[in-house]
Amino acid sequence: MKKIFIINIFILLISNNAYAYIDPGSGSIIIQAILGAIAAVGTTASIYWSKIKKFFTKNKKNLTDDKQ
Amino acid sequence: MINNEFHKEESSYRDNHGSVYFFKNKVLRTINAPAESNYLTLKKQNIYRDSIKNNFLIDFQEVEKNNFPEQLKTCNIILQSEILPFISYPYEWTFDQLKDAALHHLDFQIFLLNKNCVLRDSSAFNVQFHKGKPIFIDILSLKHYEEGEYWIGYKQFCENFLNPLLLSHLKSIHHNDFFRGSIEGLETIKLNNLLSLQNKFSFNTFIHVVLQSSLLKKDIENPHYTRDKKKKLKKFKKKSYFFLLNQLKSWIKKLTFKKQKSIWGSYSKTNTYNEKSLHEKETIIANFAKKFKPIKILDLGCNNGSFSKIALKNGAKDAVGVDFDYNVITEAYNLTKNDNLNFLPLLMNLSDPSPNRGWKQNERKGFVERFKCNALIALALEHHLIIGKNIPIKDFVNWLVSLSQIGLLEFVPKDDQTVKDMLSTKEDIYKDYNEENFEKYLIQHVEILKKHKLHNSNRVIYEYKVL
Repeated sequence: MKKIFIINIFILLISNNAYAYIDPGSGSIIIQAILGAIAAVGTTASIYWSKIKKFFTKNKKNLTDDKQ
Repeated sequence: MINNEFHKEESSYRDNHGSVYFFKNKVLRTINAPAESNYLTLKKQNIYRDSIKNNFLIDFQEVEKNNFPEQLKTCNIILQSEILPFISYPYEWTFDQLKDAALHHLDFQIFLLNKNCVLRDSSAFNVQFHKGKPIFIDILSLKHYEEGEYWIGYKQFCENFLNPLLLSHLKSIHHNDFFRGSIEGLETIKLNNLLSLQNKFSFNTFIHVVLQSSLLKKDIENPHYTRDKKKKLKKFKKKSYFFLLNQLKSWIKKLTFKKQKSIWGSYSKTNTYNEKSLHEKETIIANFAKKFKPIKILDLGCNNGSFSKIALKNGAKDAVGVDFDYNVITEAYNLTKNDNLNFLPLLMNLSDPSPNRGWKQNERKGFVERFKCNALIALALEHHLIIGKNIPIKDFVNWLVSLSQIGLLEFVPKDDQTVKDMLSTKEDIYKDYNEENFEKYLIQHVEILKKHKLHNSNRVIYEYKVL
């Protein structure tokens, strides 16, 4: 238990070190989270969009193939 | 700025990971204990070498500490980095220079993130220009990327790069005065207050300026609220980190600054002396550069940099040029980018040059400290300061000769069309403005090596050496 506590303190100290030099601004960090969420939604939407597009172009192709 | 005495760079106090020192014309960077393991890990992964090879980072090497003063021997690692001939600041850059510096910063971040590294800050002062191209100089800013971490330098990137560029793009206001007013750049809250509703009606501006500004305001009004929200945030995915960098990059690439008309923008095409006089001046500069082969040359009132370029092609090693006209410095910068010459054009009003500023007024150096050179050219400049800005003729001469050991200095008399035009709108209070007085003050400090009388005018160019 004591060991885990010391390790936790050590990890905390290390991660604090990386954030010590300039203030990133809490508001500016939250903006990044919002943009991250938009990016995730955008990526999912673009995946579905390309699937829909593929479905229709495939259908169109099948139709023209059938005509031939 | 660089001399033989051992001294610390005053601007390197902010980061506890290391300091910068100058010693015997060398730029030295010490690495303190907290940064040592990070440096060694990145070195092992060849991050530094790859960054240098790809022209992102300034070249450097590790050096033996035994050759340096006692103060440096307490640290384990000392780096010696390449010396840049001139250090410039974002408030001396045009829109195009700041934009190129911003894109360089983002490209470097993307390059590093692909190698599991990031930059610890986003200061525009960490980007410098060398041979017309931006280069990142803060070696200790590189750090290992930790899974899920947010971009620490995002707020600073907005203040130092994005917001000043947006101010120019959206409001047609040069960023320079704002940046000179605050060493931290342009705060997002301040920019948001300046924008109109129409300006805010874009996705990017809304997110990065409007929304960020309201959250930063909350930070000030109720810090516990935003800090608590921040604590609850999930880890920032690497994919999102890339998205943010790429989104900013493609946005900044599209930003433009609408060129405004200026007298000096077309100076080289419409100036009052003819082609023969211009050729005469070019020959004088070429011979001067061939004769003295100056290491550093300062071109005051450089216009589009054509005279500096003649000096560089004829034996001068590096040149810095300053002019107060935005359009000519923009033109000079774009020409330099294509020519790959060692010429740095900067925006500066010589009656109010860059001052010493920041902590102890020593963090960012003023014009004189950074740009004292071996040689100087000041052609068709003095009347703009003496008549245009009412600088006393004696003061002007004393100041000018203190900037270099040798120089070329043009005197434009009152019967010249340019001076006549200047005096047509203001009272002639310049009774002592004549060649005789100019020369009288000049010879108090210098030996006149040659006096060139220009054809088709009464202009004179003095070639001098300080006594």
